Amino acid sequence: MEGTHILLADDERGITDYLAPILERAGYSVTVACDGQTALRKVHELHPDLIVLDVLMPGMDGRQVCRQLRAAGDWTPVIVLTRVSTTTDKVLSLEEGADDYLCKPFEPQELIARIRAVLRRKGSGKPGKPLSMAGKLRSGELVLDRKARRLKKSRQVIDLTPKALALLEYLMLHPDQVFSRDQLMDAVWGWAQPVASRAIDVRIAELRHAIDDDQQTTYIETMTGIGYRFMVPVESADEEAR
Amino acid sequence: MKLRRGSVIALILSPLAVGLILAIFLQSPGVTNPVLRFQIRADLGTLILIAGGLLTASALGFWSFRRRANTRLRMAVENVREEAKGERRRFLRQLDHELKNPLTALQAELAYLAEGVPIEQTGKVLRDMNDQAERIGRLITDLRKLAQIEEQAFEREPVDIGELLQEVVEAVQDHPGLPERCLHLTLLQSPWKLPPVPGDRGLLWLACFNLVDNALKFTPPSSEIEVRAFEVSPWLVVEVTDNGPGIPPEDLPYIFEEFYRGKNVRGCPGSGLGLALVRAIMARHGGDIAVRSRSGQGTVFTLRLPLAS
Repeated sequence: MEGTHILLADDERGITDYLAPILERAGYSVTVACDGQTALRKVHELHPDLIVLDVLMPGMDGRQVCRQLRAAGDWTPVIVLTRVSTTTDKVLSLEEGADDYLCKPFEPQELIARIRAVLRRKGSGKPGKPLSMAGKLRSGELVLDRKARRLKKSRQVIDLTPKALALLEYLMLHPDQVFSRDQLMDAVWGWAQPVASRAIDVRIAELRHAIDDDQQTTYIETMTGIGYRFMVPVESADEEAR
Repeated sequence: MKLRRGSVIALILSPLAVGLILAIFLQSPGVTNPVLRFQIRADLGTLILIAGGLLTASALGFWSFRRRANTRLRMAVENVREEAKGERRRFLRQLDHELKNPLTALQAELAYLAEGVPIEQTGKVLRDMNDQAERIGRLITDLRKLAQIEEQAFEREPVDIGELLQEVVEAVQDHPGLPERCLHLTLLQSPWKLPPVPGDRGLLWLACFNLVDNALKFTPPSSEIEVRAFEVSPWLVVEVTDNGPGIPPEDLPYIFEEFYRGKNVRGCPGSGLGLALVRAIMARHGGDIAVRSRSGQGTVFTLRLPLAS
């Protein structure tokens, strides 16, 4: 982590003034940009290891910045800070090419955890497109077709409710990352409510039953008192489809 | 094939028109107008059948006309409903945006404090936290005002706009933006005084204050701001002008929408509801608000309030 350089782009000084020193204390060196154009310029000048982009910024918004970088073949990891929680579609935009999305408001520690996870994923995998841009995800015997909203296990189609599918998709897009029930609620349902997080357990049970979890491979691990984690490595299955 | 309403009416009326013209022509002197005699023989059964057929045909025509009119009406209602739904969704989404930024800042500030900061820095962090809390408070206050303006009944009393504008100018005397800018008030009341406007004094004050406050907030230092009022019967017109950088043309159509922040003014303090409030206040008074802006030259906001008839 020593020398890891993060570009933080947000037009809200109230946020960057405090988030930057918190990230610095976590061991990163931080550069702040206050609008999209500046962010793009600083990416070219400084080649940061990771970019945190706010969605709404004057001039060019975070999504446009991300798209421009990807279009130019720049695969620097990007975390987009969104403000709208509108269920699954916010997380899973195939075209944008962000590595992860985090919904405002968030706790700074949550951002640090996401930064670590994204950097770890990038460090271990092949450089290139983030998982979020893959139309099909493969993990062990599972193949999830994100566009057709269909899951196959050993070429057999498995029936799932849309919410269970969205939950699996979210977990597969963040392999080896631990999520609390609240975080999963927020990501998949668009809002978190302590009493409602039982809903996550129900969906996880549905998923496990459907994919025969624990028979040969454990895909979804329960972290007692914390939440859930997708354990098996995930890769893009786009190439083999062609 | 889809015919226009006008052409359909013309088509329906054309046989009558042709008949009328021919009748007038045949009645005129010097034209032979032969008398024709017809004799129709039919049994009662056939006549009843023909009469029944004619009745059914006209009833069918009427029914299909009604049905089409109803469908059109239903579609129009549906469109309006959809539009309202869309507007509500947009409004809630924007509200979400506006609340989440100060909340994120508060959380970052709290985390910063929790990690332990030197005692001399705590004052600044607490002030910044207070600013964010106030921002949320302002937003909620403005939202409540907006709801009240649109829903509540309000009293109409004669309001002296000249006096009200004097008060607005006095109220901004301690505005942080005023010392660096020039603010003039011009009331065109010669040869007669500005007539009073029937309205809610508090709301009209708020509308004028918001415009002056905006001008002080969004213009660069050393800008000139002019507030003027004059009568153009049947309206009383209030204008707030500035010689600032102007509003980009792409922003102009949207500046009265709730939470819309133009490209140049993001990062300026404000709830994003100020102009929406002015528009709502004008609507309740039967007046309106308009804006003209030229890049690099300035902006004119015009309020028109109906005078008592």
